[in-house]
Order: sequence, then structure tokens, then C-alpha cells
Amino acid sequence: MSNILEVKNLTMHYETLDGDVDAVKDITFNVKAGESFGIVGESGCGKTSVAMCLLQLQAENGKISNGSILFDGQELVGMSENDLRKVRWDGISIVFQGAMNAWNPVVKVGEQIREAMREHNPKSTKSQNTEKINELFNMVGLDSSASERFPHELSGGMKQRAIIALALSCDPKLIIADEPTTALDVVIQDQILTEIKNVQELLGLSLIYISHDIAVIAEMTDKIAVMYAGSIVEIGPTEEVFKSPKHSYTRSLLDSTPSIMGEKKKLRSLEGEPPSLINKIDGCSFSPRCPSPSNECKNQSIEMGLIKVGIDHYADKCCSGCISE
Amino acid sequence: MYKYIFKRIYQLVIVFFLFLVTSYILFDSIPGNAFQNMLLNPLLPPGAYEQVLALYGLDKPLSERIVLYITNFFKGDFGYSYKYYPKTPIELIAERLPRTLMLFAMVNIVSFYTGFLVGKILAWRRGSKSETWITITSVFSYTVFYPWFALMMLWFFGYKMDWLPIGKFLYPEKWYDAPFDSDVIFTLMIKFTVIVSIIQFLIYMFTRNIESLNSKRNLRFFGFILNIVGSFIFWNTGDALTKKIYAMDIAYHMILPVITVTIVAFAGTALLTRTTMMEVLKDDYILTARAKGLSQRRIRDRHAARNALLPVVTSFIFTIVTIIDGSVLTETIFSWPGMGQLILDSVLNEDIPVAMATFSFIGVFALVAHFIADISYAYLDPRIRIQSQG
Repeated sequence: MSNILEVKNLTMHYETLDGDVDAVKDITFNVKAGESFGIVGESGCGKTSVAMCLLQLQAENGKISNGSILFDGQELVGMSENDLRKVRWDGISIVFQGAMNAWNPVVKVGEQIREAMREHNPKSTKSQNTEKINELFNMVGLDSSASERFPHELSGGMKQRAIIALALSCDPKLIIADEPTTALDVVIQDQILTEIKNVQELLGLSLIYISHDIAVIAEMTDKIAVMYAGSIVEIGPTEEVFKSPKHSYTRSLLDSTPSIMGEKKKLRSLEGEPPSLINKIDGCSFSPRCPSPSNECKNQSIEMGLIKVGIDHYADKCCSGCISE
Repeated sequence: MYKYIFKRIYQLVIVFFLFLVTSYILFDSIPGNAFQNMLLNPLLPPGAYEQVLALYGLDKPLSERIVLYITNFFKGDFGYSYKYYPKTPIELIAERLPRTLMLFAMVNIVSFYTGFLVGKILAWRRGSKSETWITITSVFSYTVFYPWFALMMLWFFGYKMDWLPIGKFLYPEKWYDAPFDSDVIFTLMIKFTVIVSIIQFLIYMFTRNIESLNSKRNLRFFGFILNIVGSFIFWNTGDALTKKIYAMDIAYHMILPVITVTIVAFAGTALLTRTTMMEVLKDDYILTARAKGLSQRRIRDRHAARNALLPVVTSFIFTIVTIIDGSVLTETIFSWPGMGQLILDSVLNEDIPVAMATFSFIGVFALVAHFIADISYAYLDPRIRIQSQG
């Protein structure tokens, strides 16, 4: 299968009054057509920044200093705003974190979806658009009458479903789901996840699923990237990463999640706090919190970088050696 | 919704009643009365002053007069002016109102529209050089001492450059052999403006549901051109043709006051729009709109400005009320014989029936404006629509 998205050496920082915040450091990954790709990591590790870079929607002070984003053969970094508008939603659409505020409160839901369709498909008539919206609403498990309602008249779960319908409205090739279920209760969460999964398989879309919840990622994705402090520390097929995590951060994440099957184990939580990205970290960025750091890790001259640890499975040079079982 | 409207109307009536009573007491508590300068006449026969007071009912106690006035008020009898005796307050207002309405409705609509437009663009171009300068200018015109500014405008455009008339609303010499009153022209101009605006509004409403953005824009533009051509034909045919030169004369006199008040008034709207819009631009749905690949203009107008509109409309409704009472200052400076001058004149002369009539007119106007504000909120923000049902 061909790659629909190729991200190479993407580096982005936010310019703030206190100095530059390196939110995304030298990130490289590929997403194949029809594949679902997960990005997991703690809050503030740069997941959402990556998502925003993919759409070139990063905040005004977010500057991409290096790297390239190839979507369907087009280079997105440095593309003009007008060309980007054609890629957005038509090529890449996004399901935002917190659907509650993603709807304009004074415009009907259906109208907001139609608006995107008009923009990317100006020739279709109103009845065609309405028909498509009804279809999409059925697909995500919403009554088609919901399109004639205002956002505040829908419940949180309904809004989230409608957002998924919105994301699908222009037949994108890639959907980015940025913690789409964070604000919902577990039952609704599960329904929405199933919905996303079904739709993705049905339409053969590529999906980038971003979450801090490693259990959800496990369920949703074929391939996974673990992010820590702005860089990818481990990347590989989901099953492989879960079975034999090579990076000690991945290991800690897995250890802090309860498993329903298997023996009962005491959960281990990771000590310390995620590092502030404003300070440059000497040596391996994970070394201050690593359960078993060696002196070498704290060595300033140590270079971070991925090395191959298995079939299609890469982990950070430094920490990949920390686990020895 | 109907329950809500009914409740609001009920409240309005009570407020209006209280307003009438309070105003009457306030006017009565001004020392002296309208006929006091009779006493300055040394040849005044004894008992004449008392007779005049009795004639106008001013010898009765306050409580009795209030009851009498209010019952008569609701019967539609507003009494007679003390100063312009045979004329009733209604006649006086009918004569003055068109002049004020024409001037200030124009000013308010122009200043609201330009203010909203400017504020919208200011927020959108935040941080640019032009934004900084326009904001500084707006703050200046928002805070400037208005009478001074108006006098400076008069001095510069009316006297120094001699481009525009210094005061009044017409050149009397042009009207010597005019076959009709100036009020006829004013009424005609108002009718014309209202009809043109309604047509424009209808064009907008009818094209609302057109799906294609291009044909919507073209149709609206076509409607606008049609409206202008229609107005041109109207003023150049039949009855309106003879009135055209007089209407032009009045329009010419309106230019300076309209510009002056607009400069002062638009800044408030612009700054308010800028602030609210900057808040709105931080909201998540603006990001959604950008992610959808919408054009900058559409994000600005449809998503950001639409949500920033609510507080701006509130302030607009409040300024509508000042169309009449706020005109006192402007009309005095520009010698514009409208409602503002009538209010000032009647209060200074203690012409209570006229003063009460003008004030209650303002009262009704203000209350109705607030009523409309409440209703239009419900239209602008669907979230209010729901709450008001309960």
C-alpha cells in the first residue's frame, strides 16, 4: 500500500515571551492508505501540536522550523493559504478535542456541515447535500432530524457523533481524531469508538488517532507512535509494541493501565511530571523519570534517535537498552 | 415565546405608568411656573395671574393634577401648549419629529454599520500597523468632548472652507415660493428611506436560502443595483421631481451633522465590536471553520462577526433611544429645529404639557426599543430562544 501521509523530520516550536517551546522535535512517520495510526502520550507532550501541523493550523506563534509533510504527494509545509483550503476537509479532516465548543452556537448543525460541502463541492445542490447529511447521520447513529437543530439542543454524545459526520462530509482521505472521546462517559465513549472504527473500515479511510489513553489506542489502531516531550520515543505495529515494549516510557504507560484479563497486578505509576518543553533537557529526555537510568543516559553528549528493534518497530537509542528481560 | 412576549408587555405598561408619574412630579418640582413672568408686568390687574392659573388648572393640588393628567393621557388628550397656545403638543411633535428622525435615524444606521464593519476588520487584522492607527483614532473620537468637536467641524467645514452650511436645515430663500411645507418633504424623504431599506432587507431575506455562494452574491448585487436604479427613477418622475430640489436642499444641510455625529458615534460600536470579536476569535469553532477550509471572509463574517453581534446590537438598541433625547446637544449646535430643541425649549419655559408629551414620547420609544431588543436577541441567539420559553 502506498503512503498517504509522509511526515519527515517535522520540528515545530512556539515562540513565547519566556523563550521557545519545542513542542515537536524531529518527528518522522508514515501513514498508509486505509491504515489507522495512533499517537499516544501524556498531556503536553505535543500530540495536538502534531495534529495541528498536519493541517497547518498551528497557532500563530507556532513556527515550523524544519521538516516536511507530504500528503498525497503534496508538500503542505509552506503551502499558500488558498491551496491549503482545498486540502483541508477535502483531503484531511479533523475531529476536535472537545466537540462541545467545536460547533458555532448560532448556526444549525446541518447548515454547518452543508457549509463545508458547499466550499469543496460547489456544484452539488441543497437537496443532494441534505441527503448526504442524512446518510452520514444514520451512519454515525444520529436521527436525521438532528441536522435541523442548534448545537445546544444536542447532548454531548450527539454533538460528538455529529462532529464525526462533519468530518466525513467531504469524503476526506485522512481523518485525524484528536482525543474525540475525552469529554464523554465510558459508555458513550465505547459507542463512539465503535462508530469511528466502523466508518473507517467501511469507507477505507486512513485514520490518525490521538489519545492519552493507551487502552483506547490499542483497540483502535494498527500502528502506534509513543510520544514523550515532543519526540517519538517508540513506533511500531500496535500488537508488537504492546507485546514487547522496548522503551521504558512505553513500559511505564502499559504498567499504569489495568488489564481486564490476566492476573491482578498492582498498578505502577510513573514518578515525576512531564518535563516543561521550554527548558532544554540534557541527554535522554526521559532520563529524569526513568525507573532504571544509567549514568550514560544523563550524559549531555548522548544523542536521541530511533533505532530498529524489530520488524517495522523502532525505539529510542538510549532507552531501548534500559529494558532487559 | 408568546407567554414571554405577553409578560414583557405587561412589565412595559407598569414601567411606563411609573415613568409618567415620576416625570410629572419632577416637572412640577421645578420652581415657578410657565406664567410667572406675567408678574413682572407692573400694569397687571389684580387677580389676573390667579385667573390664568385657574384657567390652566394650575391652582389645583399636585395629586389631583397627576390623576387628571394621567386619565386624560390615556384618553388621548395631552392638553394645550402654554407657550404656543392654540397648538397641542401632538401638533408640535408631529411638526418636529420628522426632522429629527430623518437626521438621527440616518446617523445611527450609518454609524452602527460602519462601526461594526470597522470593528470587525480591526479584530481580524489584529497587530497590524493600520489596526493600531485606526484604534487610536477611534479611541480619540470616542472620548472627544462632543460639543467642542462639533463646533470645530462647523468652524472648519462651514466657515473656514465654506463647503457646507453652518446651521439650520434649509436655505429659506429657496423656499419662498415653495408650494408646500418642509414637513411634506421630510415625510417623503423618510418614506423613501424606509421603503428602500425594506426592499434591501427583503432582497437579503429572499436570497438567504440559495445554496450556491456565487449566485447568491450575484443576485444580491443585482438587487442592490435594481434598488438604486429604482430610486433614481422615483426622484426623476412625476410628483417627486418637483420636490427634488427641496429634498436636495435638506440633504445638503444634513451632511455636516450626519458626518459629525457619525464620527463620534461609530467609534463606540467599532471598539465594542473589536473587543467582542477578539474574544470570539479565540473560540474553538473558529478553528473548526478554518479546518473546514472556508475562506477567510466567510470565517470572519459568518462565524466570528455573527457571534460578536449580540453585545453590539444591545448597544445599538440603547443608542436608538438617544435618537431623540441625545439630539438636544446636536440640534442646539447645528440649529436644527427638531425634537431636541422642542424638549429644551419646553423645559426651559416650563411648558409642562409639551414637556410631558415629548418625554412620554421618548419613554414609549425607549420601552419599545428595549422590547424589540429582547425579541431580536431571541432571533440572534438561539440559546436565548429556548430559555425564554420557560
